[in-house]
Amino acid sequence: MKLSRPALLPGLVSLVGLLLLWQVVSLFFLASFLPSPAELLSRVAAIFSNPPAYLIVGKTLERILAGLVLSMLIGAVIGLVMGLRPAVGSFFDSWIMVLLTFPAISWAFLSVLWFGISDLAPIFTIVLIVFPYVTMNVWEGTKAMDKELTDMAMVFRANQFLLLRKVLIPQLMPYIFSSLRISFALSWKIALVSEAFGAGRGVGKELMYWFQGIRADMMLAWGVSFMVLMVLIDVMVLKRWEKRVFAWRQIAVA
Amino acid sequence: MSSNAVEIESLSKMFPTPSGLSRFAVLESLNLQIERGTFASIVGPSGCGKSTLLNIIAGIEAHDSGRVCIVAQNGTNSAARIGYVFQSPRLLNWLTVEDNIRFALEAQNIGKLRWNERVKKYLDMVGLAGQERNYPLKLSGGMQQRVAIARALAIEPDILLMDEPFSHLDEITARKMRVDLMHILEHAHPTILFVTHSLREAVFLSEEVYMMSVKPARIFKHLRVDIPRPREPEDPRLFDLEKDLVKEFFAVLERDYR
Repeated sequence: MKLSRPALLPGLVSLVGLLLLWQVVSLFFLASFLPSPAELLSRVAAIFSNPPAYLIVGKTLERILAGLVLSMLIGAVIGLVMGLRPAVGSFFDSWIMVLLTFPAISWAFLSVLWFGISDLAPIFTIVLIVFPYVTMNVWEGTKAMDKELTDMAMVFRANQFLLLRKVLIPQLMPYIFSSLRISFALSWKIALVSEAFGAGRGVGKELMYWFQGIRADMMLAWGVSFMVLMVLIDVMVLKRWEKRVFAWRQIAVA
Repeated sequence: MSSNAVEIESLSKMFPTPSGLSRFAVLESLNLQIERGTFASIVGPSGCGKSTLLNIIAGIEAHDSGRVCIVAQNGTNSAARIGYVFQSPRLLNWLTVEDNIRFALEAQNIGKLRWNERVKKYLDMVGLAGQERNYPLKLSGGMQQRVAIARALAIEPDILLMDEPFSHLDEITARKMRVDLMHILEHAHPTILFVTHSLREAVFLSEEVYMMSVKPARIFKHLRVDIPRPREPEDPRLFDLEKDLVKEFFAVLERDYR
């Protein structure tokens, strides 16, 4: 049996082309302004041959995780309650719109003013920016819930808790998972920006440090290695998890 | 104590007209008694209010006046158990076949210790032994409806409501399901209220047939089908019965529409 895969060749050509172009352009600049691919790789190796680098990455991951978990919890609960209780829905509707339209960068600055240089500032920034997206998404999900299944559960006399657990929340899972992946991508970008202004240690702080030292090579080395880590988490953890949760959707092929 | 499982007295239900300005009666002073252990069918044209009646009995729709009483089997004080097989299976697709049945058992507060025995007994009965761990979407439409039937039977209901349960299936599958249902009922004897628009289906399956007219729905004919079960779908007595009933039906419909 042949595995049908997306053609590898076009992707490979574009990757090699990009590296070549990068190499050629980098010849015209200082390594600290625009490093070549090989130089960048040596900077990455230099960073991670130094043990504190792992602590820095760990600290940033910790904040991302805290911000993400809080955003998902707060966002999903509010979205669910808004969907189940229309009065709550119209009550929070305008609040969520305000939060969604408020400039994200303002939160990054405001949280430093309010919380100072601490873990709290980046986490607060992540939560305020991300949870409204989760809320909107989950709220949207509640509108697509199947009334017929709720009726079925009522006929069989399911209590509210059983209804929520086995009937309603499973219907929201697609929305929760799409929120999770968007939130993750948003969270780590926000974390870095926020850390640049308001953290004692973290990848964002490193970027700020090397920015002030006018070292584009080191900024790129940190940026690229963190990006790779985030893509790995998305593919290895989130996508796999999603696949397992939705195993029931795979219809048998005769 | 009466031996009735269902008692409905002068039940009325109003619906708003599409314009929303006034209301019309879907059900008006409807009376119905079903004896325990009886398979009763209600036959009527689409939109006559049959499903509304079932939903009122099931407690998911309110009524405007009258009395609806489902008498529990043992001790009239306990709440009656209602099983419902809908037109579509209405399974929880994210749960396995056995978990779908357990959902109903949990909803009915049936002790956990009895779950496995019930799941096995009723899956065997509907011919789905071995499918416990499968997900509904991997089953055919007919098999999904069998799971729905097992789910409704597993709670050992005081009344089993069936709302055109075979109307979404192709005719060959539906026919097999009807025959199988008849055999299932040799092992379980719940009181059944079966709603259909097919006279043939009604006379084949039921002991009692109630015929309903439209707007407002009232029962204009009650008939006992005395042919012993299990019955053969090709039984000529069933055909004769159906023919007579069709004639009567059209006479009433014509009078009503005039």
